[in-house]
Amino acid sequence: MNKFSKMNNPKKVFFRIPLQASMLIGFLFLLAQCTNPTNKIDFNTQIKPILNKHCIHCHGGVKQNGGFSMMTREKIVAPTTSGHPAIIPGNSAASEFIKRLTAEDIEERMPFEANPLAQKEIDLLTQWVDEGAAWGVHWAYNAVKAIEVPKREKALGTLNEGITSNWAKNDVDYFIAEKLARKDLAPSPLAEKPTILRRVSLDLIGLPAPKEVADAFLRTENPITYQQLVDNLLSSPHFGEKWASMWLDLARYADSKGFERDPHRSIFPYRDYVIKAFNADLPYNQFIIEQLAGDLLPNPTDEQLIATGFHRNTTTNDEGGTNNEEYRVAAVLDRVNTTGEAILGTTLACVQCHGHPYDPYEHEEYYQMMAFFNNTRDEDTYADYPLLRMYEPEDSLKLAQLTNWVKVVENEERADEIVHFLKTWQPAIYSLESDGLVNAALYDTKFLGFRQDGQAIIRDVTLTGKNKLIIKILNSKKGGQFTIRLDAADGKKILDYALPPNNREHPYLEIPLVATTGKHNLYLQYENPLLKDASEMGFRMDWFYFTKDFPGKHTADYAVQEQHFWDLMKARPPTTLIMQDNPAERSRTTKIFDRGNWQSHKATVQAATPKILNPFPENAPKNRLGLAQWIVDKENPLTARTMVNRLWEQLFGNGLVKTVEDLGTQGDLPTHPKLLDWLAYQYMHDFGWSTKRLLKEIVTSATYRQASKVTPMLLEKDPYNQLLSRGPRVRLSAEQIRDQALMISGLLNPKMYGKPMMPHQPAGVWNTPYNSAKWIVSEGDEKYRRSIYTYMKRSAPFTAMETFDVATRDVCSARRIRTNTPLQALVTLNDEGFMEAAKHFAVRLKMEVTGNTTEQIQAGYQLALGKSIEKEKLAILENLYTTSLISFQKNPVAAKTMTEGLDIKENIASIAAMTVVTNAIMNLDEFMMK
Amino acid sequence: MSQKSHQLLKEALAKQAELNTRRLFLKQCGLGVASMAVGSILGGCGGTTTTNNNTANTLTNQLQKISNNLPHFAPKAKSVIFLHMAGAPSQLELFDYKPALAKLHGQPCPESLIAGKKFAFIRGTPTMLGPQANFQQRGQSGAWVSDLLPHFAEVADEVSFLKAIHTDQFNHAPAQLLMHTGGARLGRPSMGSWVTYGLGSENENLPGFMVLTSGGYNPDAGKQVWGSGFLPSVYQGVQCRTKGDPVLYLSDPKGMNRAVRRASIDAINQVNQLTHQEFQDPETLARIAQYEMAFRMQIAVPEVMNIKDEPDYIHQMYGTEIGASSFANNVLLARKLVEKGVRFVQLFDWGWDTHGVSSDTALDIGLVDKCKETDKPVAALLKDLKQRGLLEETLVVWAGEFGRTPMQENRNGVGQSYMGRDHHTDAFTIWMAGGGIKKGHTHGATDELGYHAVSGSQSIFDVQATILHQLGFDHEQFTYQFQGRPFRLTDVAGEVIREVIG
Repeated sequence: MNKFSKMNNPKKVFFRIPLQASMLIGFLFLLAQCTNPTNKIDFNTQIKPILNKHCIHCHGGVKQNGGFSMMTREKIVAPTTSGHPAIIPGNSAASEFIKRLTAEDIEERMPFEANPLAQKEIDLLTQWVDEGAAWGVHWAYNAVKAIEVPKREKALGTLNEGITSNWAKNDVDYFIAEKLARKDLAPSPLAEKPTILRRVSLDLIGLPAPKEVADAFLRTENPITYQQLVDNLLSSPHFGEKWASMWLDLARYADSKGFERDPHRSIFPYRDYVIKAFNADLPYNQFIIEQLAGDLLPNPTDEQLIATGFHRNTTTNDEGGTNNEEYRVAAVLDRVNTTGEAILGTTLACVQCHGHPYDPYEHEEYYQMMAFFNNTRDEDTYADYPLLRMYEPEDSLKLAQLTNWVKVVENEERADEIVHFLKTWQPAIYSLESDGLVNAALYDTKFLGFRQDGQAIIRDVTLTGKNKLIIKILNSKKGGQFTIRLDAADGKKILDYALPPNNREHPYLEIPLVATTGKHNLYLQYENPLLKDASEMGFRMDWFYFTKDFPGKHTADYAVQEQHFWDLMKARPPTTLIMQDNPAERSRTTKIFDRGNWQSHKATVQAATPKILNPFPENAPKNRLGLAQWIVDKENPLTARTMVNRLWEQLFGNGLVKTVEDLGTQGDLPTHPKLLDWLAYQYMHDFGWSTKRLLKEIVTSATYRQASKVTPMLLEKDPYNQLLSRGPRVRLSAEQIRDQALMISGLLNPKMYGKPMMPHQPAGVWNTPYNSAKWIVSEGDEKYRRSIYTYMKRSAPFTAMETFDVATRDVCSARRIRTNTPLQALVTLNDEGFMEAAKHFAVRLKMEVTGNTTEQIQAGYQLALGKSIEKEKLAILENLYTTSLISFQKNPVAAKTMTEGLDIKENIASIAAMTVVTNAIMNLDEFMMK
Repeated sequence: MSQKSHQLLKEALAKQAELNTRRLFLKQCGLGVASMAVGSILGGCGGTTTTNNNTANTLTNQLQKISNNLPHFAPKAKSVIFLHMAGAPSQLELFDYKPALAKLHGQPCPESLIAGKKFAFIRGTPTMLGPQANFQQRGQSGAWVSDLLPHFAEVADEVSFLKAIHTDQFNHAPAQLLMHTGGARLGRPSMGSWVTYGLGSENENLPGFMVLTSGGYNPDAGKQVWGSGFLPSVYQGVQCRTKGDPVLYLSDPKGMNRAVRRASIDAINQVNQLTHQEFQDPETLARIAQYEMAFRMQIAVPEVMNIKDEPDYIHQMYGTEIGASSFANNVLLARKLVEKGVRFVQLFDWGWDTHGVSSDTALDIGLVDKCKETDKPVAALLKDLKQRGLLEETLVVWAGEFGRTPMQENRNGVGQSYMGRDHHTDAFTIWMAGGGIKKGHTHGATDELGYHAVSGSQSIFDVQATILHQLGFDHEQFTYQFQGRPFRLTDVAGEVIREVIG
């Protein structure tokens, strides 16, 4: 008998008295509070973890062994297969749930076929049942409330051992100090200036601080303050380049489509949007709205359209013989999952097949969320439509003139329609949407093509007010006749047209339609007596756009403006993928997929958000825009917490909740729940969702500025630095390692934005079937641009960075797991790109540093690490220099080979030797870590 | 339990004990010792040995979960060689002999075979296509093997054929992903990653999971078929190349000799020792160890990748040619790698997609050539492993990502100039050998057209469960916590195919 059973004996007596259950529970609560007010069980922190770990695998949402489920409060007290409930609230002794934990018979004892629970766990569960088996909402599903900063005197009073009471720099520190005190630990002193300079600079701009900034901070006379340093870094254009990496992992941004052919995709403007958004400190709520629904904002700007590339970064499959709808659906599901993981920090993907065994989302709710995303115009087309066609300045001018003219000769609405079409080719109907194919096929799985007597059907086209059809064609052989009939193979002809042969320069047809009204199924027919046999394809097309006559027929400028229109159609400006919705008459319905199988449909659902979370805002539309508004509603319990936690993880190496991808019941508990909520509240309410402001708050804290030395005591009490007893010391990211090497060697090209570039990479890495694209090292200093601009091919990521745990960007990746491997050593020791940096670094030292070799090595270390080198380390590097120099003097050919590509005539051996030293510096632990 | 199994289990348990010791040691943080740590985490440290207990890698995430995943029971196989014929070979020309199909050759396909079916390329009503190879029964087991594989025919008694494997993906990339990662979409860890995550490597100087490709291209699904998905990247397959560096970045920079490299690694590590004294960060000790390991790998990898020293009879047996980039060379390398303790060797040979749209995809031309390139080395591998006593502990799997239709493909609904077959998911043949698999056995059968399974129908997940089982894992227990739930290679399915286990 354990102590709780004894203690609870009197309650058994009460239980025999026929009281209403609820009264009983209430009474027991009272009793528990009276007898032991501080030790009342907290369900979320004390019970739920035990249930999650030991029980719900078999007694959850999927498996409910013995008819017992621990998913909800209702279910735990419901009758099981035995006919009786397993838990009798208030009576552990009568509860089978408790009895089974200590059953002698191993067949009876729970957890089944596993070690028995620890006595402490059994005690907790027993007390919990006796206290009424109260349920609780998981902490992360409660809205963020204002938090009081822990009493200052109290927090500071605990600081000891040489840490003065003015250790704290801002409110963040009181939360940290309070917890440290509880664990009997003191914070570490502030790091020295060079150390914090390097740390905060790598963290905020991803690079060592620019020389003038570093000098201003480190000089002894009249230095800038740490606050000023932080402000300076936050306003650097490099800031966005650093923080975009984090976001692009979530957005699964890549420059290729994925799967078999993995062809190129032009969506780099989205990457640039993210950089710009961070630099401009676009409030996070606006950032989310633009990315999820920029296209649905009133009169969206091009930037807002580009932002919707967020959810167009899904993979598409151009492999021959694929089912286009399958991959369209896959992309939509990915959007639901990514929205959950990236923005809400919760795993929705698990309820795709059935009710979640862990988090309180319903199977149906997954598809209600899917309904928000299921009405978009992307359909796994080859061109990845819809696109934004970003006209060059000259064409933009034409477009503006055309727009103004249409406004005058017709009206604003018509002008908008034409501009929208010219910029997006929407709302086109793709040829792969056709069916009922006879003597026709989707060639290469993507494009409708006709043979002799070919026929295809396009469904549900509204023709009211339309009298023109524009077709984007791919091939047309001489002699073809194209007809369209209404609603039947022998229906009324509304189009009959002798097709001209292809014109590569003008791949469009504009064909008059017989005016009609209403929604119709269109029967497309093709014949061509000139085709050589029944297997020859004569006419192949990309999309259809039903419209009406070009406006202003009898006005003076008609011919000029019509020419502008076609010039703009034919222009081939850079494009980027954007989100667009189907027109209302072609909108899709969303159905629940049986067990997650996209081909097996159940009930139809309407767009809605999970019930456990905040209510959908009143007046918000039931579309992506409304969804975005719901996400950034201050009542949404997850959005701010998720982002705050993510930013914290970037700075400290671990989130306040370690599982940054999942704040749900299966995620880790926060190490500092009050701090997380306090920051989340500040972020939303006081900082107006300003990410820079939030980062400033964190990096100006004493917590962040601590020295990162580990003592045996710290390592014992806080091995993973979860209590923040010292400053962060973690390996740099793949991007930071490469960018840092480029910067200190003087090679870094600070050019921002634009097409992706290709640094050095060994030959043969790209070897994709049915794709002849090659990795061609970018010319000149283009290859020395920051890593964020590196070409990201999904099936073969840039190897030097891949080795350093860069995300492959196939799916949303919330966290890069840092590894430490010999392959990484091989990259930084041997890769051509890193060697090139070492060589240029060596030349820089030899040429720019006046003085002897020792002074040059000192300067090199100073440049690389922002601090002066200790004597012992210097001796080691000097020794390496000497050994190398002797070797290269003996073998001038090797020296020459080593310095290949450098514009040097003399001192070849010494530059080669210095290259060995700079290569070593760029491989030091201190260089890899922040 | 055989003696061998006992031995393997013993080793596994010893490793678990060792790991726990290391973990405990690190927890206690006796990290003041500045001596060199030589453990490796490449490809999973579960299998590495240390000369002292001072491996500092525990603070990196990858080590934390390993001990939970050591074998659940005595393994039969120590390592795996997976020969993937990318593009999907035709079972109807190699192993699944269907004389009845020959009789229907040229006839329109019966409606019952195509009603409600979706194919990658077949449209409308195709015609039936008889077997384009001659078959004979082979060895004691009497297994049917076509004349396209004369060398393999000699070792047919060593293998178990699984003739009714089915998949639910009819496109290459997703089907290859399903085969190797248990999911048809991108993002999951590959089988080799799972295995090295669970078992590590036997050789501290070589990665635990190595990949070799041939046939001119990477597999259709790209490098993700040997990726680590949500597992730490340390478990991803390391690609060995037959051109350029055998492993990327392995060679010293041009102009740097070994002595200078040694001096430079010494200098780096000496400075790092001082850094460690200052910061006491265990990660620094790990880095020191990794640089030592990198230096050793620079020797070990070229050694194992060098086939020059193999005797002539081995070259003749495999049909290898020194310096060539070929499937044969890769197969010989696979043998060398498992011999050196590499846990999982994955070969992809591209070019088996016999649609009949060109001569190199024709059943009577391209397929014949692919068989010629691969037949001899595959047979040699089984013979060679056997003569070295390695076959019993090495599981060899031969498979494509799906099979091929008994109908002639009619892409876009029109005729084709060459004989070829479309992708077929309902039933196809793979084989397994060694590693505790039955010899000379056939499991499963298809109907007389080779279209549907009539017995022994098994899924891709079943194949994965069986491979894991032979390595000592219960596929349902072998999980990794990610996104709030335990993930496993076999997703939510899979049953061990007991019928082929010896």
